[in-house]
Amino acid sequence: MAHDLELIQVGKTYPDGTVAVSDFDLKVEKGEFVAFLGPSGCGKSTTLRMIAGFEDITNGQILIQGRDVSTIPPEKRPTSMIFQNYALFPHMTVRQNIAFGLDIKGMAKAEKDSKVDRILDMFDLTEFADRRADRLSGGQRQRIALARGLVVEPEILLLDEPLGALDANLRRIIQNELKLLQRELGITFVFVTHAQSEALGLSDRVVVMSNGIVEQISHPKELYRRPASPFVAEFIGSNTIIKGTPQPGDATGLAQLNTPLGVIRGHGPADADMAVIPAEAFRITPAGAPGELRFDGTVTNKSLIGSVGHIRVRLADQREIEVETHADTDAAQALVPGAPITLGVDPVSVTLIHS
Amino acid sequence: MNTRILRPALAVYTAAFLLFLYGPLIVLAILSFQSQTGGPQFPIQEWSTYWYRHLFGLTETSRISQLPVGDSLVRSLVLAFMTTVVSTVLGTMSAEAFRTRFKGSGPVFYLIILGMMVPGVLVGLGMALLSNFAGIDRAWWGTAFVLHVVYTYPFAFLVMLAIFNRFDRSVEEASMSLGVSPAQTFRRVTFPIIFPGVLSAMLFSFTLSYDEFSRTLFTVGRELTLPLSIYGTFSVEIYPNIFAFGVLTTLFSFTLLVIYGVLMKRFTASRAGRFSGQEEAA
Repeated sequence: MAHDLELIQVGKTYPDGTVAVSDFDLKVEKGEFVAFLGPSGCGKSTTLRMIAGFEDITNGQILIQGRDVSTIPPEKRPTSMIFQNYALFPHMTVRQNIAFGLDIKGMAKAEKDSKVDRILDMFDLTEFADRRADRLSGGQRQRIALARGLVVEPEILLLDEPLGALDANLRRIIQNELKLLQRELGITFVFVTHAQSEALGLSDRVVVMSNGIVEQISHPKELYRRPASPFVAEFIGSNTIIKGTPQPGDATGLAQLNTPLGVIRGHGPADADMAVIPAEAFRITPAGAPGELRFDGTVTNKSLIGSVGHIRVRLADQREIEVETHADTDAAQALVPGAPITLGVDPVSVTLIHS
Repeated sequence: MNTRILRPALAVYTAAFLLFLYGPLIVLAILSFQSQTGGPQFPIQEWSTYWYRHLFGLTETSRISQLPVGDSLVRSLVLAFMTTVVSTVLGTMSAEAFRTRFKGSGPVFYLIILGMMVPGVLVGLGMALLSNFAGIDRAWWGTAFVLHVVYTYPFAFLVMLAIFNRFDRSVEEASMSLGVSPAQTFRRVTFPIIFPGVLSAMLFSFTLSYDEFSRTLFTVGRELTLPLSIYGTFSVEIYPNIFAFGVLTTLFSFTLLVIYGVLMKRFTASRAGRFSGQEEAA
């Protein structure tokens, strides 16, 4: 069974020699929700546009359900694209917008009308059907765009920062709708965003990109737990990154690293030279539990937000990290600026990577 | 500055501006109602529509011959229409081409613009010499037509360039991603959106061609266009019938403007806020 979408060594180099994307490999299963995540200019939108056919590729191949579409024009690809600015047709009503793709295909009126009616109903747009699209709110407009893109029954829906123009509240609402919709329809979604929360909250897999290169492709949880590159470690969540030199591994099968803060054990290759510790792995321990990594430091600041205490700690190498704690505990009460503090980390939550 | 002074000052300025803008036209309109015995100047002997009737040959023969503008009016209208069609199509197509940078787009841009920059008399003379040299007969539908297009095409081009400049390409991409071919996308999506621009380009081309003088002077051949034949009547003696004619052509221009305005309103009013795209939520 062919993959729904497959990118093989896809790359794009502009005529002036600038590399937009290089060596992009990806296999997407039918019904998967994949997010491209990265800072602006990392090539995520370019890749999406290459899948849609709006940008040529200069290397590799793009396959949709086993068929090479690399040189096929956008209108002949089984993809629909959703744009950040909605890209609705300003001279048409909501219904005309949605029916447009079917109109051009020359679908019989009865069939077309029933499809449009069904999707209008699905997106709660029936009451706006005969209004002009540009008179409606951002959320409604994005629903129209989704309805318009889905009514032509694409194999793959491509979404280019579709929530970017919406306010925070609406973004959450549409985000939920998207997730439900995708599950219900069972079609493949490829979603581009620079917002971690969207990528991690929506997708089955996240492709993290930077500078035109794929840094890591994995499940959202894995991105947090096991970043594969320094870029991902810095970009996702808030990690403490400590450089060191590789040491022979310990008996438990963990790799070891000699760092200015002592020997750090963690998951990773034996020759890794960088330790990544997630912020939430730090625990305040009075004595240090057996088997845990110990970090000694000094409290520099403490702030309370509700019952959560945020404590800034200066470690031995002068770096400051922030640790969350429950504010009511006796241990937390004693933590005034200047007081010594000991942090413990379970080595299992530490990831060792190559810098 | 104090608005107490500024406002009246601006009002006076605006009034003076309007007076100078429309003054000649108003004088012309008043004098066109001069009586048969009056000349082309004040005072008005007696109000009458004599010169309007004279214009259409509805008066008894007088020693003043009818204004010989009938044929040239038709010629000018046809020429302006031909020019409008060709220039607008060319202008739209080249503006479309300029949406993406291409090799030599800079020089090509200036070559197009050159058509409206060079002095008309020189181009006209050059064209006359060239057609003489090449053995081409000069005619309003030939040599003059070519120069009219050369002259109005840059205007149409610039108008369309401005329109495409603020045109959101993602609308076309959305259409194509729905499975619509580029040709259909242009017809069903792009063209309706740029239509107000096309109307403006047409208006420019038409009016510029309709009263073009210097380029036409050397290239028109034996059969004259309207501005030339009106100018020709000046060399004899001026009668108020020319004013009456002026009023009528001005009315014609106003009619064009009204049609333009109505069409513009129809195609743009419903689209307010088109470019405010990415804003407010519910």
